[in-house]
Amino acid sequence: MTGMAIHAKGLEKRFGRNPALRGIDLSIPGGSRVALLGPNGAGKSTLLRLVAGLSRPTSGHLSIAGLGAGKPAARQKVGLIAHETFLYPHLTARENLLFAGRLLGVPELGARVDKLLEEADLRHVANRTAGSFSRGMAQRLSIARALVHDPAVLLLDEPFSGLDGRASAKLAERLSELRQDDRTLLIVTHDLSRVAQVADSALILLNGRIAREIRGAALTSESLETLYAESTEGSP
Amino acid sequence: MRVLAAVLWKDLVSEWRSRERVVAMLVFSLLVVVVFHFALPGGATARNASQAPGLLWVAYVFAALLGLNRAFSIELENDAISVLALAPVDRGWVFLGKFLANFLILGAVQIVVAVVFAVFFQLDFSGIVPQFAGIVALGSAGLCSVGTFFSAMAVRTRFREVMLPLLMIPPLLPVLAAAVEATVGLFTEGKVPPGSLQLLLVADGIYCIASFILFDYVLDG
Repeated sequence: MTGMAIHAKGLEKRFGRNPALRGIDLSIPGGSRVALLGPNGAGKSTLLRLVAGLSRPTSGHLSIAGLGAGKPAARQKVGLIAHETFLYPHLTARENLLFAGRLLGVPELGARVDKLLEEADLRHVANRTAGSFSRGMAQRLSIARALVHDPAVLLLDEPFSGLDGRASAKLAERLSELRQDDRTLLIVTHDLSRVAQVADSALILLNGRIAREIRGAALTSESLETLYAESTEGSP
Repeated sequence: MRVLAAVLWKDLVSEWRSRERVVAMLVFSLLVVVVFHFALPGGATARNASQAPGLLWVAYVFAALLGLNRAFSIELENDAISVLALAPVDRGWVFLGKFLANFLILGAVQIVVAVVFAVFFQLDFSGIVPQFAGIVALGSAGLCSVGTFFSAMAVRTRFREVMLPLLMIPPLLPVLAAAVEATVGLFTEGKVPPGSLQLLLVADGIYCIASFILFDYVLDG
């Protein structure tokens, strides 16, 4: 993707009287991999839900690939993976992907679903209901679901949450594979040790504002932990 | 249409495999029928037979409340409701898919309840099955359009089991009044009052169109 994948100007979101985002200005070029960091309540998940089109901003401007966020055409550009898997437990793995693909109008859906099941190493359990899956398998299926329409922007909200070490490593490996294509990734995570593996830059959010941007060598685990501690010092 | 068909397919397949809603709705509404049978003095008299259509609709409303309460709570498991909200179309199509699924599931329960009701209250359906089915379909369309809309609203509230009836019953009063009047007319005089049919059609139309338009805001998190 060329141009800006995500562009926000003066973005604000309030829940009643409580501000969650206080004037976010953000430009993420197409093909970037950005980690969103910050303590609980900083506004990371709120920002991700606005970008996904699951929630409307209170004020400000937000566009996805030049399309107004929340509009049907902009939702088509976005895939979302969260710690909740968004899977239907009574549908099989294949049926969950078919359902997502039908909602998104994916052409040649059968072949696409087969390919995604293969990539997720779930082909052998394609006809098992998702409710019988382990957390790691469900998360891999959730990634396949989010990729079914080959979205230009992939949003990940704490994807490592609840995974054991082995499943986390497998997920990180899968996310590294996704770095090889020209997709924009925006990842919310508390796991600083994974950031360098999955992102090229990081933004630290604090009290609904972007407090710091970190790039390059500073993304290594030790430097990042120091910078993160400096940025969030004194925050609740 | 693609989204409508996908949501309808997903809801029916999920219900077929779990049978959570149908079984609960069926058992509960049959218990209601049994309670009515024993609560009314004199059992199945002619007077009770004229009251029976009203009682039948009470059983239908209870069944609908139970089923509609579950209609969106199944979407909250794993936060699957987000998949519906992410669909890149007007979310009114998601409403229509859920509405149709609820309508069909409620319809399956209504058929069984009507048969049991006919046995308990000695209702004679001979020669009026098509008209009866038409009235039930129109009344259920109103129930399911209002119910599907408010079920999606109530599902994220803390007291959703209480919220749904509180939100749903008041706007449904015209639909229920017209459906009961039409059913009583059919059983007692063999014909349906045209006024009640017109009211059912108008109410169904208004509720379906309003829900289709407003559903976009209901799915916003």
